[in-house]
Amino acid sequence: MSTAQTRFVYVTYIRTTPERLWAALTQPEFTKRYWFGVTMKSDWKAGAGWEMMYDDGRVMDAGSIVEADAPRRLVIKWRNEWKPEFKAEGYSRCTMELEPTGDSVKLSVIHEMDVANSAFINEGVSNGWPKILSNLKSLLETGSVLMAEKI
Amino acid sequence: MSQAQSRFVYVSYIRATPERLWAALTQPEFTKQYWSGVSPISTWEKGADWQLVLESGRVADTGSILESDPPRRLVIQWLCHMREDFTAEGYSRCTIELEPMGDAVELTIAHENDHPNSPFIYEGVGTGWPAIISSLKSLLETGEVLTMQ
Repeated sequence: MSTAQTRFVYVTYIRTTPERLWAALTQPEFTKRYWFGVTMKSDWKAGAGWEMMYDDGRVMDAGSIVEADAPRRLVIKWRNEWKPEFKAEGYSRCTMELEPTGDSVKLSVIHEMDVANSAFINEGVSNGWPKILSNLKSLLETGSVLMAEKI
Repeated sequence: MSQAQSRFVYVSYIRATPERLWAALTQPEFTKQYWSGVSPISTWEKGADWQLVLESGRVADTGSILESDPPRRLVIQWLCHMREDFTAEGYSRCTIELEPMGDAVELTIAHENDHPNSPFIYEGVGTGWPAIISSLKSLLETGEVLTMQ
């Protein structure tokens, strides 16, 4: 998917270890806290199914694990399931890379799609990731999130 | 510059008041801590000169304040002197907006210029701001900056 037509990239540095950050990105007890109640279901191996659910059980996004190299790299084939215009765009691809640097980890999230001017990427993902990852950084560095609910 | 050809946007949410975040963005005693020793020098009024000075005393960037509405909005006309190809691209424009949200502030930095596929915007600014703002967020929320290599 090097030909992706729409791409959102977000980089943040978090004072933690790659192992702890990997756990925070994949384990429901962490994601619930900083991702506004969302949980994920997967066994996090290449080829495995992947689902993201609201706290009421509705499936928000679904797909599969394309690559998993814990705690360094995760690639998810990802489709939104709740908004018809997002779902109609098909599958996106989300690559997460964790790279230790000094006392921190550089986390890069690249979320892209082979659709020109993708609404899912430009409206959905681009607004969501900065809130989610700011909340995650606060949780790992201070023990509490900034925003318990999406504003 | 609404027809900017290269544009980098970075949004972060930081537990702070707009006043405290504004001070952290404009006062050298804060910036030196999270921005690798860098000090901005300006009176922060519209039309005033603006400089970013490295710890060594070298002037890294120069320009002027295009808009200033503390603690909400700051627009800087910004020219980089650290690389010849960056300087050759001419002035960029950096817009910094602070919007309170609950006990946090939404900080939006939009840095743009009229150069297509600008190396200054995508290589310079695009890699610089995420590291700088991550360290700033840690400083304001935990009292300590990040140590990056």
